[in-house]
Amino acid sequence: MIFAASLAAAVVIVVLSATALALWYERKLAARMQTRIGPQFVGPIGLFQPVADLLKLVQKEEIVPMGADRVLFALAPPLTVIFALAAAAFVPLWPGVAVVRSDVGVLLVIGFGGLAMVPVWMAGWASFNKYALLGAMRAVAQSISYGVPLVLAAMVPVILAGTMDLDGITQFQATHHWFGLWPIIPGLPAFILFLLAMLAESNRIPFDIPEAESELVAGVTTEYTGMQFGFVYLAEYVHTVVGAAIGSVMFLGGWDGPFAPGLHWLLLKTLCLFTFIYWIRWTLVRLRADQLMTLCWKWLVPAGLGLVFLSAAWNQTGWSR
Amino acid sequence: MEVTTPVRTLPYRKLELYEPEGDMLTLQLGPQHPSTHGVLRIKLHLDGEKIIKAVPYPGYLHRGVEKLCEQLTYVQMIPIVDKDDYIAPMHNEQALVMAFEKLLKIEVPRRGQWLRSLLSELQRVASHIFWLGTMSLDLGGALGGGSTNFIYCLRERELILDLFEELTGSRFHYNTHCIGGNRHDIPAGWAAKVHDAVNLIRARLPEYEAMSCNHRLFIERMRGVGVLTGALALELGITGPNLRASGVDHDLRRDAPYDAYREIPVNVQTAKEGDCLARTHVRLAEMRESLRLIDLLIDGMPTGPINSSRPAKQANQIKIPSGQAYASLESPRGELGTFVVAGNGEANTSPYRLKIRPPSLHALAALPYLLVGHNVSDAVAILGSLDPIMGEVDR
Amino acid sequence: MAVIEEPRSYFHPLYDVMLSTPGLSVGVAPLDRLLTWGLKNALWVFPMATSCCGIELMASAAARVDLDRMGTIMRASPRQSDVMVVAGTITVKMAPRVRRLWDQMPEPKWCIAMGSCAISGDFYRNLYPVVPGIDTFIPVDVYVPGCPPNPEALMHGLMRLQEKIGLQREGKLVPSEPRPDFDAMVRPPALSRIGDAARAADLSDRQEQAALTMCPDAAPGVVEDEEKGFAQPATQATPPLNTELVELLRDRFGVTEFPLNAPPVVSADKHLELAATLQKMGYRQFLFVAASHRPAKEGSEDLCEVAYGLRTVGAGTKEAIWQVRVPTNQTVPSLVPLFAGADWQEREQYDLVGVKFAGHPDLRRIMMSDDWVGHPLRRDYPADKECAPWR
Ligand code: SF4
Repeated sequence: MIFAASLAAAVVIVVLSATALALWYERKLAARMQTRIGPQFVGPIGLFQPVADLLKLVQKEEIVPMGADRVLFALAPPLTVIFALAAAAFVPLWPGVAVVRSDVGVLLVIGFGGLAMVPVWMAGWASFNKYALLGAMRAVAQSISYGVPLVLAAMVPVILAGTMDLDGITQFQATHHWFGLWPIIPGLPAFILFLLAMLAESNRIPFDIPEAESELVAGVTTEYTGMQFGFVYLAEYVHTVVGAAIGSVMFLGGWDGPFAPGLHWLLLKTLCLFTFIYWIRWTLVRLRADQLMTLCWKWLVPAGLGLVFLSAAWNQTGWSR
Repeated sequence: MEVTTPVRTLPYRKLELYEPEGDMLTLQLGPQHPSTHGVLRIKLHLDGEKIIKAVPYPGYLHRGVEKLCEQLTYVQMIPIVDKDDYIAPMHNEQALVMAFEKLLKIEVPRRGQWLRSLLSELQRVASHIFWLGTMSLDLGGALGGGSTNFIYCLRERELILDLFEELTGSRFHYNTHCIGGNRHDIPAGWAAKVHDAVNLIRARLPEYEAMSCNHRLFIERMRGVGVLTGALALELGITGPNLRASGVDHDLRRDAPYDAYREIPVNVQTAKEGDCLARTHVRLAEMRESLRLIDLLIDGMPTGPINSSRPAKQANQIKIPSGQAYASLESPRGELGTFVVAGNGEANTSPYRLKIRPPSLHALAALPYLLVGHNVSDAVAILGSLDPIMGEVDR
Repeated sequence: MAVIEEPRSYFHPLYDVMLSTPGLSVGVAPLDRLLTWGLKNALWVFPMATSCCGIELMASAAARVDLDRMGTIMRASPRQSDVMVVAGTITVKMAPRVRRLWDQMPEPKWCIAMGSCAISGDFYRNLYPVVPGIDTFIPVDVYVPGCPPNPEALMHGLMRLQEKIGLQREGKLVPSEPRPDFDAMVRPPALSRIGDAARAADLSDRQEQAALTMCPDAAPGVVEDEEKGFAQPATQATPPLNTELVELLRDRFGVTEFPLNAPPVVSADKHLELAATLQKMGYRQFLFVAASHRPAKEGSEDLCEVAYGLRTVGAGTKEAIWQVRVPTNQTVPSLVPLFAGADWQEREQYDLVGVKFAGHPDLRRIMMSDDWVGHPLRRDYPADKECAPWR
């Protein structure tokens, strides 16, 4: 119990500091991609930039707009962080160890991912702002739609590994050489599908229509000030970091690696996935809402169903055992 | 003759008839909004996300330039009109002095004409590059791929601004045209720098194309969006790339040639579809064409004076007692014209009335027609693709 | 007059707790330093970019200057920004919106006035629609002069703001920055300008003579009167009149006078018919509407001249320009039934000059706000007419 509690505390701290680092890393990365330098003056090579940002956000006045629903408005930002962090609890850190080991880890992780939409809707509704409302509307529509391909993509490793335990899936990958010889046919497309659906679930470009700044100013976050905004800002990165971690657990073999399996492999894989997500973000333009829906229901969902059938068939051949 | 005038209702008037009562969300886009290219307010009536009525309200940047010009003398006016179309100040100045030259019947010497055309083409490239950047910003957002494209575009624009800075001493708002010619002659070594910049931009153009009109997502967002028919465009007085993208082959540089365009033929770029993608294609093709022209202009630059007389130094030196004239040129946004009514009071040193014909205002007038039926994301794309500059719209 | 700026100080419940708890009060100073550091190094900008200076504001976020180096990014929502950079001319119509956005920003907040327009209204300052400096309605912390200021200048301005924040938080009294005194900075010209009361009556003539003697062979383009010709040999023929238009007007519309350097005048009742005919003849592109006001003099009443322009499309394009002259209180038939583009153009002329167009479906003001009194481009409307409450 104490171990679990201290582990949980450690995970929270690690994820939060990783997020702070990710903030800096992302800004530097973006700047490099844009032939800029990025944060430079604050601390060595701008390392303390996220710290300064957060310190500043703490000090800002917090405004509740007139006509806003005070309770929901105040509740939404912390909830986004909590839901985003909650999923991190199920990530297997090294063989057999996670903060919470659950037999239905996959289900819970996806569930928390879906829950993250609730505070977004709360924020959009409570803000009493048309831009926020439009953003929230888009966010909910998008989340509901993209939940389907996300689940379908996650089904592939579940079916192949025969377990819903995240650690079990990693174990399976470690013993069966995931991207080695055989399950690459349902595996790789499922990974791509998972990545796309996850980008959409966490509202990253090219699916970031809920906070499309060029159309909706700042979407659901338009009315948030100070640390309230800080939470949303943070949650965005927590979401991506945790999403990347789960992606690497489910598809890239998590803690598994050539020399010494363990946490460092997980971190490395997460970093690579994170970089890839931001690479996409700073390269592509966004899609339109109706195009998103078309993409989801006309392409991704059928593809996901096909993959599920394929992996079931694969399982029937008995090769995976 | 019996004139039968067709009964015409404006698009947003017509829609008023079946406005479902109270069932619509009105969204005020602007006047301060990241994608309105300055200060423009558009009142959108939304059914869900679909726009069923759009009413633009310009005028938030009305600075009274025309009134100011009535107070100033002909010489003093040139730096003022710079600020109208602040993406292409060169064209502003030139359109103004062309009208005065027409009234005074002054001919600019050949080198002056070529210099003007050279500056105008450089400015066109800078303006179109900037447009491409802001267009991607509208599509991709300030926190995404759009801003990457935007920053690349701005990087290339700086090359041209550097050239201008070396020539005139200012990054924009140059005040380099004067009545009868130009103020600043080409400094030593400038031509080579122009070549360098042009080659660099030409080499990088495929990159922009890869990021914009050859990019799948970009095409998906732009194709079939905001289709403007040629007939409507003509009626609205839309000119420039917006008109040419609607299949109308019309370019003042070729059709009513002025300056060096009398000697150098311009290949006019057109497209048929009239949608946002066509407008992108036309602008990119024009950029290539301008780069070609710049090379020709700088290589064939004749020698001689750049000014028909000594540049007017005294404010009251230029006097036009009477007459009205309209002169126009092809700016990056279309036909930029100046209608001047001369003869003001005793001194005759300032115009009686000066009207600037802004191409952007005409382009914006198409918004109520184009936005209806699209959704909010498209509204931003359509607005961006028309390339309005609010300083010019409102003056 | 500038708004009196109160020295801002920092309030936070945490501070009150710390200061009132005996042991904790020593922690206040280092904490304060830390917080000040945070505040200084994460200045998020709300780009209140209205015109040309806004372009330089954009350029300063781009690759060459890169404001991100000092932790400054642009936020589109005023709720999340600390510094409002007002870049561009603020008009009377826009000013209430700027003020509102400023009020929407959370404390602590600062304002930078970028460019002469934001500082003092620039050369528009005495004109009817422009606010003479934003410090007439919001407090300004740093002035960045220039027209436009280079991106580097803006970065300098932000760094000065950082210094100012540091001093403020140390409790030093930072006097609010005075608006740059351009009159003192700019050396007045040795010769008085046109319009100055002190200008000698014969100065203009002397200046002209001087200009001629400086460069006798290349005389400046002065036209004394039309008969004597032009100082510069007229290499260009007189602007060719559009013969098509002239013939049409002479044969069908009974116009007899064709001045060489002005558009022909068509009577108001024939005007719509002329436009329709021209449209059929191929003048399909709508060019412009320009109205000018001729106040009543002896011998003539209060008139409005409205010039219309149309253009043919394609090679050898020609423009057809004519004008309609009506007393100010009468209407001109609107061209909207023929050309949709006349809609906004005629609205503009109605707004600015006050010509009324008969048959226009939507004759509202377009440039000025709806409650504006008068038509600013009329000759009898003073250019520097005061507009409350900014003057
Ligand atoms: S200061 Fe100059 S550059 Fe800036 S907005 Fe005013 S006129 Fe434009």
